Amino acid sequence: MAQSAEHVLDHLELFRGPEYQQMLAKKKIFENSRDPVEVERIKEWTKTAEYREKNFAREALTVNPAKACQPLGAVFASVGFEGTLPFVHGSQGCVAYYRSHLSRHFKEPSSCVSSSMTEDAAVFGGLNNMIDGLANCYSMYKPKMIAVSTTCMAEVIGDDLNAFIKTSKEKGSVPAEFDVPFAHTPAFVGSHVTGYDNALKGILEHFWDGKAGTAPKLERKPNGAINIIGGFDGYTVGNLREIKRILALMGIQHTILADNSEVFDTPTDGEFRMYDGGTTLEDAANAVHAKATISMQQWCTEKTLPFVAEHGQDVVSFNYPVGLSATDDFIMALSRISGKEIPEQLARERGRLVDAIADSSAHVHGKKFAIYGDPDLCYGLAAFLLELGAEPTHVLSTNGNKAWQEKMQLLLASSPFGKGCQAYPGRDLWHMRSLLFTEPVDFLVGNTYGKYLERDTGTPLIRIGFPIFDRHHHHRSPLWGYQGGLNVLVKILDKIFDEIDRKTNVLGKTDYSFDIIR
Amino acid sequence: MSSLAATVQKIFDEPGCPTNGSKSEAERKQGCTKQLQPGSAAGGCAFDGAKVALQPFTDVAHLVHGPIACEGNSWDSRSAASSGSDLWRTAFTTDLSETDIVFGGEKRLCKAIKEIMDKCDPPAIFVYQTCIPAMIGDDINAVCKAASQRFERPVIPINSPGFVGSKNLGNKLAGEALLDYVIGTQEPDYTTPYDINLIGEYNVSGELWQVKPLLDELGIRILSCISGDGKYREVASSHRARAAMLVCSKSMINVARKMEQRYGIPFFEGAFYGIRDTSEALRQLARLLVERGAPTDLLARTDAVIVREEARAWAAIEPYRQRLKGKKALLITGGVKSWSVVASLQEAGLELVGTSVKKSTSEDKQRIKELMGQDANMIEEMTPREMYNIFKDAKADIMLSGGKSQFVALKAAMPWLDINQERCHAYMGYVGMVKLVEEIDKSLSSPIWVQLRRPAPWEALAKAMQQMQSAAAASACEPALTETARRAREICVCNTVDLGTIEDAICAHGLRSVAAVREHTNAVGGCCQRRIEEILASKPSAMRQAAE
Ligand code: SF4
Ligand code: SF4
Repeated sequence: MAQSAEHVLDHLELFRGPEYQQMLAKKKIFENSRDPVEVERIKEWTKTAEYREKNFAREALTVNPAKACQPLGAVFASVGFEGTLPFVHGSQGCVAYYRSHLSRHFKEPSSCVSSSMTEDAAVFGGLNNMIDGLANCYSMYKPKMIAVSTTCMAEVIGDDLNAFIKTSKEKGSVPAEFDVPFAHTPAFVGSHVTGYDNALKGILEHFWDGKAGTAPKLERKPNGAINIIGGFDGYTVGNLREIKRILALMGIQHTILADNSEVFDTPTDGEFRMYDGGTTLEDAANAVHAKATISMQQWCTEKTLPFVAEHGQDVVSFNYPVGLSATDDFIMALSRISGKEIPEQLARERGRLVDAIADSSAHVHGKKFAIYGDPDLCYGLAAFLLELGAEPTHVLSTNGNKAWQEKMQLLLASSPFGKGCQAYPGRDLWHMRSLLFTEPVDFLVGNTYGKYLERDTGTPLIRIGFPIFDRHHHHRSPLWGYQGGLNVLVKILDKIFDEIDRKTNVLGKTDYSFDIIR
Repeated sequence: MSSLAATVQKIFDEPGCPTNGSKSEAERKQGCTKQLQPGSAAGGCAFDGAKVALQPFTDVAHLVHGPIACEGNSWDSRSAASSGSDLWRTAFTTDLSETDIVFGGEKRLCKAIKEIMDKCDPPAIFVYQTCIPAMIGDDINAVCKAASQRFERPVIPINSPGFVGSKNLGNKLAGEALLDYVIGTQEPDYTTPYDINLIGEYNVSGELWQVKPLLDELGIRILSCISGDGKYREVASSHRARAAMLVCSKSMINVARKMEQRYGIPFFEGAFYGIRDTSEALRQLARLLVERGAPTDLLARTDAVIVREEARAWAAIEPYRQRLKGKKALLITGGVKSWSVVASLQEAGLELVGTSVKKSTSEDKQRIKELMGQDANMIEEMTPREMYNIFKDAKADIMLSGGKSQFVALKAAMPWLDINQERCHAYMGYVGMVKLVEEIDKSLSSPIWVQLRRPAPWEALAKAMQQMQSAAAASACEPALTETARRAREICVCNTVDLGTIEDAICAHGLRSVAAVREHTNAVGGCCQRRIEEILASKPSAMRQAAE
C-alpha cells in the first residue's frame, strides 16, 4: 500500500501500511532502546504519589507550561486598534512564534513585524534596527499606528524604547506626529497576560498623557460612556461581539479598548485585510473622558486599571465572568454605572440560561473537574462549575500568582462543592499530570495541550482555553453573557454524554445502556 | 375488525380487577380507561401501549405496520436493558406510502416479513397494527398466519391500532396477543420447583438485574419475564412456571389471571420498589412456590436473605434519613405503582404531600390511604398549572415524576427526580431504594435550585430600593443603620473589600500606608490605591489616637 498518485494518503493512514511499519520496526533495532519492561515500570512509577511528591518538589525546571510570553499578549492587544501594526523590537524568531500561535488558534493571518535584531545589534544595541524597522514597515504596510513592544533580547541589553522611537522619528523613519506607542514587555517577567496589560497601558498612556511629551496631556471631560477591556482571551471574537450586543441592547455609550474581534475574524470575499476593525485612535484617546472602565479580567489589567483610575474614572474588574451569577454581576455593574435599565431581552436570555441549567445540571452535579489556564479564565470557569454543583478539584494556573491563589481559595471556600478543592499557582502541566493520576477527576478543562494529559491519564478533555489548535472555530462563539454561559454548559454536557456513550457502546458487553435518550 | 372489538370488550370484563367487578354491565362496556377527552393533552395510544409492553422481548423482531409516524417518532425510546440480543432495538416498519394506502398494504407487509426473515432470522416476528392499515382494512391476522406457515416461524399479530383507546388498553391487548399466540406453544428444556414468571416487569435501566442476584441466591429461577430482558422461547414456555408475580398491576393483569385459569399458575401482585415491598414480594414468592411443592426450607432461607439485605439497606439509608427528614415530596407517577413508592419515600424520612392516582386501582388507593392517612392528597388529574402552583406555594420541596411533568417542576425551579421509564437510574430492590434516596438527596442538595428560585438580581434590587425609600426616614434617626451603610461601601472592587474592613484594620494595627493596608486586608491597592489614601488621610485623629 505504498503511496500512489491516484490515491494519495496523508500521514494519518500512510504510515500504517506494512512497508512503513516494517521500516519503523527495523529502525528500532539500531536505536538501542531501553528494555521495554523497564520503560513500563518507570511509566507506572510516574503515576504514583511518590513521584508526585518529587514532581512537586521541582524547582528549576518547568515541564509543559500553560503560559506564553509577554510580547504575545502585547501583539494581541495591539492588533485591537484601528490599522495598528504590532512591532516587536528584538529577535525575529520570537515574532514568528507569536504570529503562528495566533494564526493557528484563530485560523486567520496574523500581521506583526519585528526589528530583526542580529548578533551585532545584541552587542551594540538595537537602535539601528529600530530606525530601519520603523521606516520599512511604515512604508511597506501603511499602518495608522505602530505599537512597539520588546522581546527578551532587547530587554536584556536594555534598549530604551522611548529614546529609540524619538531618535527614529528625528531620523525620519516615520513622521513626527505618527503614533508609535510602546511598552517594555520582558518575557522573563509574568506571562502573556502581563504583556497584554503593559501594551494596553502603553497605548492608553500614549494617547492620554501627551504622546511621550510631544503633545499636551488630555484634559478629562467626563461623559457617560463606559470603556470595556476584554483582556487576553482566546474567545475574543465571540466574547467582544457579545459584549457589544449587550451594551447596544442596554443603550450604553461605550468604547471597547483593544477590540480585536474583527481582525481575528475577517470575511473571505476576495479582499485581504491586513487590518480590520479595531478601536479607532480617536476613540482610544477619547476613552479618557469615560465615566468608568470595566475590565473583564483582573489579572490582565493589573497595571492598566490603576492607571485608568488615576485619571479619575471608576474602575471595576471581573474574573472572566461565566455563568449565571457572574453574568448577573456584570450586567448589574453595567446598569449601576450607566444608570440604564436592564432590558426585557436580557431578562429573557437570563431565564433561558436558568432553564437550561435546570434541565441538565443533574448530569454535572457532583462531577469532579480539573481546570488549567490563564488565571481569570480558571476563576470564571471554577465559579460556574461550583454554581452547577460540580467540584473544581484541581485549579492550576502556570501564570497565576499568590494573590490569585488566595482569591481562588476564597471562592472554593465559599461553596460546599469547593471542599477539598485546591488552587495551584505557578504549576505546569506535568504537575497536572501527577494530580490527575493521584487524585483522579471526571473531566479536564483546558487548551489543546491537554490532549496529552487526556491520552496519558484517560481523563476526558473539555477544550476551553487558549490556544485551541486542534478544533476549529470555537473562538467565534461567546463564553460571556447568558448566551455564553449556555455555550459553556453545552460544551461540558456534550463531553459528559459522549463519555456515557463511549462507556456503554461495547457491543454485547455494556450496550444495554447505550440509549438514545439521556 | 369485529374480532378486535370483541377482544376489547373481553378485556373490559376483567374479573381480576375489583374496580371492574363492581361496575354495572353498561359501565363495563364503556371500558375501564377513561374516555379520552378531545382537546386535552393526551398520553400514548393503544399501539404505543402494546409496543411498550412487548418490545423488551429482546430477540424478537418488532415490525410496525403503518405509516412512518408510529415507529418513526418512537423507536428505541425506552431503556429496557438486554443481556443478549440487540434486535429489539432495531426499528422495523413498513413505512406505508400513498399507493399502499390506496391499494392496501398487505403485500408490502408480506415482503417486509420476508426481508426480516432473510436478513435477521429472528426466533419470531411481532407485527403491530396501527390506525391507518386498520382503517383501510389490512388483515394482519391473515398475513401473519400465512407468513408463519411459509417461514415455519411464529409471526404474531399484535392487533392494537392506536384509535381503539389508551396506552393502558394497548398493554392489555398486547397481553391478549401473547395469550392467544405465544404462551404455551413451546416447552422448556427442563423445569424446577422454583420456576416463576414475572409479569409486567420491563427491566427499565436494567433494574430487574438488581433483584435477580437475590432470586439466584435463593435458587428461584425466572422462567420467563414478561417482558423485560425476555426471550421468545422463554415466554412461549412460560406456562410451566409454578408461580407468578404481577409486577405492574394494571398493565398485564389479564395475562396473570388467564394463566392462572388456564395453567393453574397462582399469582400475587407485588413490587420491588421500597425495602418493605421487596421483602414482602420475596416472601410471597417463596410462599407460593412452597405451596406448589417446593421444599419448605425455601421459606427460612428467604427470611435469612431478607434480614441480611434489609439490615444492609437500612444502614446505607441511615445517613440520609436525617437530611431528608421533614422534606416534602409530591409524587406524580405513570406506570410505577404509587403506593409502593409512597412507602419507600416514607422509609427515607420524606413527607408526602400528595400523590397521583390517575392510573391506580381503588385497591391501590386504599393502600395509599393506609400509608398516608385518611386525608391523603390523592391527585386524580393535575393540570400543569395546578402542579406549578403546588410548587410556587412551596407546598413541596421535590417532585418525583415521569419525564413529561419534569418541565413543570423545573419551570417552577423545584428539585425534580425522574422515576419513570426514561430515567437513567434503576430504583428496584434494596439496592435501588438506596440509590433512590441518594438521588433525592443529591437533587435536594444541588446548588442550582436556590439560584433558580432567586429572581434576577435587578428585580430583587428594585424591590429592595422600594423598601429602602420607605425605610430611609426611619434610618435617618437610626445612626447605627447609617453607620452600617457607610461602612458597607466597597473600596477595593477587585477583591470586594469594604470600607469597614479597611477602617478596622487601620484602627487595629495603626496603619499609615497603602502598603500596610494591603498587607492586613485583601485590598489590592491597585485601582483602589487612591481611595485607600483618602481613607488614611481623612481618618479622624481620635481613631489614630485610639490606635496608638
Ligand atoms: S520568551 Fe523571550 S526569547 Fe522567548 S519567544 Fe518570548 S520574547 Fe522571545
Ligand atoms: S394513534 Fe394510530 S397512527 Fe397515531 S401513533 Fe398511534 S397507532 Fe400510529
